[in-house]
Amino acid sequence: MVGNFVILPLNTKYRGPAFPANSDYDIIDECLDLFRANSFFKNFEIKSPADRVLIYGILFVNEVLAHLRPHTNYNEAVKIATNVALDSFTIPGTPGFPLNTVYSVPVQDHNAMELLRTYIQQFRQELAMRLLERLYRDSRDHPSKFWLAFTKRRFMNKTL
Amino acid sequence: MSYLNNPAVVMDNGTGLTKLGFAGNDSPSWIFPTAIANAASSNAKNTASSSSTGGAGLAASSTGGSSAASNPYFTNATSTTNFGNLTTASLMSNNLSGKRGTEDLDFYIGNEALTASQGANYSLNYPIRHGQVENWDHMERFWENSIFKYLRTEPEDHFFLLTEPPLNPPENREQVAEIFFESFNCAGLYIAVQAVLALAASWTSSKVVDRSLTGTVIDSGDGVTHVIPVAEGYVIGSALKNIPIAGRDITQFIQSLLRERGEVDTSLRTAERIKQEYCYVCPDIVKEFNKFDRDAEKFAQYVVENQDKTRQKVVDIGYERFLAPEIFFNPEIASSDFLTPLPTVLDQTIQACPIDVRKGLYNNIVLSGGSTMFKDFGRRLQRDLKSIVNNRIAETERLSGARSTGVDVQVISHRKQRNAVWFGGSLLAQTPEFKGYCHTKKDYEEYGPEIVRNFSLFNMV
Ligand SMILES: Nc1ncnc2c1ncn2[C@@H]1O[C@H](COP(=O)(O)OP(=O)(O)OP(=O)(O)O)[C@@H](O)[C@H]1O
Ligand SMILES: [Mg+2]
Repeated sequence: MVGNFVILPLNTKYRGPAFPANSDYDIIDECLDLFRANSFFKNFEIKSPADRVLIYGILFVNEVLAHLRPHTNYNEAVKIATNVALDSFTIPGTPGFPLNTVYSVPVQDHNAMELLRTYIQQFRQELAMRLLERLYRDSRDHPSKFWLAFTKRRFMNKTL
Repeated sequence: MSYLNNPAVVMDNGTGLTKLGFAGNDSPSWIFPTAIANAASSNAKNTASSSSTGGAGLAASSTGGSSAASNPYFTNATSTTNFGNLTTASLMSNNLSGKRGTEDLDFYIGNEALTASQGANYSLNYPIRHGQVENWDHMERFWENSIFKYLRTEPEDHFFLLTEPPLNPPENREQVAEIFFESFNCAGLYIAVQAVLALAASWTSSKVVDRSLTGTVIDSGDGVTHVIPVAEGYVIGSALKNIPIAGRDITQFIQSLLRERGEVDTSLRTAERIKQEYCYVCPDIVKEFNKFDRDAEKFAQYVVENQDKTRQKVVDIGYERFLAPEIFFNPEIASSDFLTPLPTVLDQTIQACPIDVRKGLYNNIVLSGGSTMFKDFGRRLQRDLKSIVNNRIAETERLSGARSTGVDVQVISHRKQRNAVWFGGSLLAQTPEFKGYCHTKKDYEEYGPEIVRNFSLFNMV
């Protein structure tokens, strides 16, 4: 844990501090499974620390989708999503993050904050790539328009 | 006294659709939008309505059930937005002059009203809002055309059964009586509460063992959803609840999803067709989204043709199939001001009733109206309500240590559900006793409009 943000294991080949998950199903899968349903809700009750990671993941999926166009093909999408994932980002709980009522992190603790930053970096890269697998499952030429339509929705009325 | 042998006329005027026909029949002979198109100004008269050719005249066929099947304009519909392929040129003549004077005849009702209002000369009005008559003038004309153009009967030869929403003010009943007795000169009148008729309609279900008039009716039409507890035929008004989510909201929600995806046709008409043909209630939306990923067959397409069928547009259908009716169970999906799920409202309604009737209200929950027609609507409602009730029981047992006998929750779906109100009316009005429960023209003349403030409940069992 860094503050109330929990460092969950990930199945990923991207480098970073996450331990490998001991099952096939990890928090990334959970984010992707819950993204569409949760996009319709403005209220969300946090029941466990993992839910904070989930909220971050759902907002990030929306962010990636917003960078894609109906005719973006898979190869272009990989470039775009990689850029979005690696772009500088605000760490939850630090000034400027849109949902700071939910997160609290030890901003003074440099080591802890560095751990969190690298974890989120790793998390973003893996989530972006697995998102693309779902978006381009039926065709590598263009993303699923049913997924893309979710850019019009705002989970908890927020965007990253 | 020919009315004694004629079947009674049964009219259920809903916010969206009017159901019209004769007692004893299995289904209404006509279903059309409760809409009226009035000439925008009186000098716009000599357009579509000036024709005197096609008018069927008013051969006062007082034989009930006169079939209109041969008339292409009278096709039965379930749509509140669809008006088939009528063009303004093919509107029926309003040749009623022989009957009712020539003034104010420049109007159309039902599907013809939708068609006429496409031109510049007519304005479209819906005289009923949220189940109640809002414009009596328009309503009178609407009834007039219903009787003379659709039913083609002489009101003095028939008894009429009309329906009203729960808690309709008595003044409204008096208005109805005035119109039916004074303007139309009808033989007799009975005004029934829609929910009570819906209960009677459920008797056709094999699940219903005793023909009781105790139960909770969920009547969901176009404009509003009512949750109405009824004990021994009387509405428990203090507990009744309305939900501002009904067919029209679901259609609009589908439209918004189609727009978000940029589909080629996002009209309300298309949204309504998709709603009626493709939507269903799922057990769990998260799982349902994933089913669509695994099984591409879940996606569908709806083909929109233009009038002469020369061009086609293809609209893709996706998650709206299960998301649209989900707004009953998770209103937050589509609305930000009303958030209580239907099963919760249902539970609150029954809990607000006297304790001795609750059992009968939980085990006879009856569905009625077009917007309860989604596949598995009843099943989900029963499951969710059961879990609310069971949680409460478990909590009480934990606190008191006493064992509860449990509550039997049963939601009744049945074949007559869509037009349950009309069908219940048809059942009642065909009984030999019916006319005895009506107020007659003679009663009206003797006692005045106030007489219709009360109708005795039928002893139909
Ligand atoms: N098979 C169906 N599936 C879903 N919705 C349907 C179906 N058939 C009809 N509807 C919808 O039901 C609504 C009409 O229902 P109904 O005739 O019970 O309402 P109403 O009586 O006009 O309105 P109200 O009772 O609110 O005054 C419309 O919104 C229509 O689109
Ligand atoms: Mg109705």
